[in-house]
Amino acid sequence: MNTPGPVNTATIRVVIVDDHRMFRSGVRAELTADIDVVAEAGTVEEAIAAIREHQPDVVLLDVHLPGGDGAGGVDVLRGCAGLLETVRFLALSVSDAAEDVVAVVRAGARGYVTKAISGTDLSDAVRRVAAGDAVFSPRLAGFVLDAFAAGVEVATTDDELDRLSAREREVMRLIARGFTYREAASELFISIKTIETHVSAVLRKLQLSSRHELTRWAAARRLL
Amino acid sequence: MRWAFVGSSLLAGLGLFLYVWLWLTVPAGDPREAAEEQKDAASSAIHRGLNPQWRTAARKLPLTEIALGVVLVLAAGLIAAAGIGIDVTSWIVPVLVVIAGALLGWSQLDAIQRSRWNVKAGGRTPISVLRIVGGVALAVIGVVLLTLGERNAGDVISALAPMLAVVIGGALVLAPWWLRLVRELGAERAARVREAERADIAAHLHDSVLQTLALIQMRSRDSEAVARLARAQERELRMWLFSDRQQAAGTLSAAVDEVTTEIEDRFAAHIDTVVVGDVDLAGNWAESGRALLGALRQAVGNALEHGAPPVTVYVEVTADAVDAFVRDRGPGFILDDVPTDRLGVRESIIGRVERRGGSVKIRSLPAPDTGTEVALHLPLITED
Repeated sequence: MNTPGPVNTATIRVVIVDDHRMFRSGVRAELTADIDVVAEAGTVEEAIAAIREHQPDVVLLDVHLPGGDGAGGVDVLRGCAGLLETVRFLALSVSDAAEDVVAVVRAGARGYVTKAISGTDLSDAVRRVAAGDAVFSPRLAGFVLDAFAAGVEVATTDDELDRLSAREREVMRLIARGFTYREAASELFISIKTIETHVSAVLRKLQLSSRHELTRWAAARRLL
Repeated sequence: MRWAFVGSSLLAGLGLFLYVWLWLTVPAGDPREAAEEQKDAASSAIHRGLNPQWRTAARKLPLTEIALGVVLVLAAGLIAAAGIGIDVTSWIVPVLVVIAGALLGWSQLDAIQRSRWNVKAGGRTPISVLRIVGGVALAVIGVVLLTLGERNAGDVISALAPMLAVVIGGALVLAPWWLRLVRELGAERAARVREAERADIAAHLHDSVLQTLALIQMRSRDSEAVARLARAQERELRMWLFSDRQQAAGTLSAAVDEVTTEIEDRFAAHIDTVVVGDVDLAGNWAESGRALLGALRQAVGNALEHGAPPVTVYVEVTADAVDAFVRDRGPGFILDDVPTDRLGVRESIIGRVERRGGSVKIRSLPAPDTGTEVALHLPLITED
């Protein structure tokens, strides 16, 4: 994810939500100069208050947080339900567990990265999310392929929520293989913009699909 | 111990009462041991509900010994009474009946107390009910016979009616108190379970995380060792936290994780591993799986040794084949430039996979991208 997103001259205003102060200051130090951290929060309640007050462009949201109803990042997203059009959420977690990842994405997060991500990659991800795109880590792409049972029928029209199109599946597979958006674009001979469109479409399907298999897959991992 | 009481009961029967009283009030066995067992039961209940092993442990009361003791005590008492000159025969039968009933009832009490930890709603099997009812009936008959003497039945009934009323009244008054006692017992049991759970977590954190942190502090100058310790600990903690969704052993995904973990440890580096789908490494897949994993191990090792991080491993299982991709960000290489005596790529990766009917593609990504990707494709062979 070392491709810079679309040119964005204005600084991006960010709220960092994580219950570890050390991690927050670490992230703050690693983010590039064009990203301005306007607030930090350590609990669900603090996070909702800070997001409502500052109306940031992007919220870096830890999946596990104290407070709220015990659902951590998902509670923050629920508490900010009216703001999801203007404030974009990027989930950040140490957890690889499918239920954590998919739960925050289905609650409205526009991307998911692990905490092991480098500072530049994280900054790129923030820019991308601020521009309205989705950020998929290889693992999230893997979950999507798993959930939308790889190899079965493919979608024929774009508005089908319950299946991936052949192209979307190809893009997901490349991301799972560790390709950046730009690398995936040159691999498939399409533009980065098209890749971004495909990824956003997959994100939408992941969030909105009521696909039987997805539900069953999720239930097997005790989420939803 | 019991024989001491038997002996002492010869002295005015005092020992008999003492023995029975102690038997009722002092719980059998070592109290500390009992507490331990209770804790074990509580903690294991977290994991697998109620455990059956308790039933077997409960029945260790030496009933035959007790019966023998009682008989001996009675015999001694009778002989003593006859010696003093009391008319034994008129009340010996009723007393025996009462004692038999009481024994039946009290042995039940003892069993219930033990089985209470055992099964919540249990302890009231048909047999146990029968024992209680039988015991009570025997005791009542005995008491009636004892008090009846030469009087007639009408007197007895008129005497029994107020007694029954008193008993029912008492039960009504005491019922709330008894219910509260039962409820408190339940709350206490729940608290014990929580306590055991906490202790479990504390013990685990101590054994693993704190130990590792101590090791890290001791070796803080050796950054490689610190990284390795931290990674191993992280993995272990993850396994523990998410243990209920571990992949089943013997599947490809578990084996891939094993391989990447092993190489991560060897190179002290991080590998991003994603596995989609899964297959049991049995039957036709046993051989193919071994070949694939061997090639994968070699490819990932090469990526870390000659390439550059981040290294990504992606394995996808479809209905009749497995695809595996190993990606690194190094300068890349051209297979033809590799000396022919180097077997790493030709034999360990390509040869292995091709012998199982698969194919291998190695390519360096075109500029401006960097890195090498090794793609392994292995179909499921059905003819052998």
